[in-house]
Amino acid sequence: MNAHWSPARVWTGLALAAWAGLFWFVLVTGRTGLYLSSRTAWVVPLGGILATVAAVLRLASARTTRPEHLDARGSWTLGVVVLPVVILLAMPPATLGTYAVGRRSGFVGSGVSASGGSLASGELTLLDVAAAQSSAAGRAALQRRAGEAVTFEGLVTLESGAGPGEFKLTRFIITCCVADATIAQVTVVDAPPGPLQDNDWVRVTGRLYPLGDEILLDASAVEPIPEPERPYLTP
Amino acid sequence: MAVDVAAPRTRTPQAPAARGGGLAVLGALLLVALMIHLVAPSRVGWLQNLLIVFGSLLVEAMPFILLGATISAAIEVLVPSSTFAKLGRLPKGLQLPAAAAAGMAFPVCECGSVPVARRLAAKGLAPGAAITFMLAAPIVNPVVIASTFVAYRGRDTLWLMVIGRFVLGFVVAMAVGWVIGALKGSGELLRTPTQDVATEEAIEGTEARWRRFAGHLAGDVVFMARFLVIGAFIAAAVQTFVPQSVVDRVAGLPILSIVAMMLLAFLMSLCSESDAFVAASFVAFGPAAQLAFLVSGPMIDVKLSALYAGTYRGGFVRTATIAIFATTLVLTMWIQVIWG
Repeated sequence: MNAHWSPARVWTGLALAAWAGLFWFVLVTGRTGLYLSSRTAWVVPLGGILATVAAVLRLASARTTRPEHLDARGSWTLGVVVLPVVILLAMPPATLGTYAVGRRSGFVGSGVSASGGSLASGELTLLDVAAAQSSAAGRAALQRRAGEAVTFEGLVTLESGAGPGEFKLTRFIITCCVADATIAQVTVVDAPPGPLQDNDWVRVTGRLYPLGDEILLDASAVEPIPEPERPYLTP
Repeated sequence: MAVDVAAPRTRTPQAPAARGGGLAVLGALLLVALMIHLVAPSRVGWLQNLLIVFGSLLVEAMPFILLGATISAAIEVLVPSSTFAKLGRLPKGLQLPAAAAAGMAFPVCECGSVPVARRLAAKGLAPGAAITFMLAAPIVNPVVIASTFVAYRGRDTLWLMVIGRFVLGFVVAMAVGWVIGALKGSGELLRTPTQDVATEEAIEGTEARWRRFAGHLAGDVVFMARFLVIGAFIAAAVQTFVPQSVVDRVAGLPILSIVAMMLLAFLMSLCSESDAFVAASFVAFGPAAQLAFLVSGPMIDVKLSALYAGTYRGGFVRTATIAIFATTLVLTMWIQVIWG
């Protein structure tokens, strides 16, 4: 019997190829960090390889003596499968912003922890500050470093009722993907006058003062910066 | 194939209706792309949040669906059905523990275990054992144990959380597997066995092994992916519109705190390899409520409900949900009594 192209197999192969294309696109354009943490970034090339293999095998086996045609229901099924590819390719690069801040777990207990010993010396990062809030030992260790000069980078979150020169500096912490994001946040005070808006990325230099559950950063300089290549922190 | 196909024909011409359906789908996809371009999600906070979470859930989960489907297709093509018949002859008392223990050797999250369990059930493994494997694997595997350890290191409850999660995951998976296996008609667990078997037999009868592998792989991916897309969208919507602080008010209440954390795990649909970091962030909740989050979440959530509903026959999601919630609640209540 003569072999013919099977439309169902061809379109299924193309749907898998679309997913393969998405994974390679995310990898090549450096967008992995917009969706995944550095810990799980390896799943993107894995997905690219597996989807490519699946697509190639499906297309290579698409000629058959018993071709199946694709009915309307099958077409819509493939449409649903390809829909995320279309959305992610059409969407400009974007990260979680101020909208997500109020919907995520707060500063206290940001899902990571640190011992007092690891906070006793060395450069303090925003991740250290968040981690310190998870244990009494961490809070005590951070308290002993009150007044120390630090430089943090993050998103500006403006709050109603805040005083002049005051805003929240926020950074999202993700472990696997954006869905598990928690927040690390400090309150910046005495910021030099300047036009700041929600979701602006800034680098703040100043001195750190833990006050109970709130961490104040007495700013000496606030400078706008471009969004980092890896906008999320990973514990 | 899992994509709905009409009966095989000897000629290829597409029916006009099918061509029309395909064009409508292409048009709808183009419309979505155009709307995203015109709306510019960056100007609409909730829309941007929704699409980012939706995308990240899929970018992370889809490789595991592909991996699970690859293993599933390899099982179908390489492992004879008689192997699973032998497993089925194991003493009943050993089948479920053996299935749960097999999960320790399968280091993927919950999305990857569903296609494998589906294939195992289709190949003749006892339904209870297949379900036990599916539920246990995302919790008892070494990667998840390690991530739980990292999330809780430095805390007094470290070993309670690590060992408690492993033991409870093992026990709850076996309990639910036993319930499912004891149900009348559990032998017909899969939603579309006749369609799949008929198509696969047609493939097997005429095609080379690599072609059968390609067919099963593509079929499993498409079959699972459509439900994953729907589940991920609902989970992203929940994450966008329901703040995590919504459960804080019941943190100090004995039973409600456990129920609230199970409900939250259901709604958030997190990967089992990362959920410990989120559970650890709910410091107002005791270890029992956090364990309930860590045990029930990888077994049943919004995303998985969609996957299960598409994979298993009607009533499975309801029965499994009740069994998972009830068993987890009872066991974690004991932990609350003992550890506070």
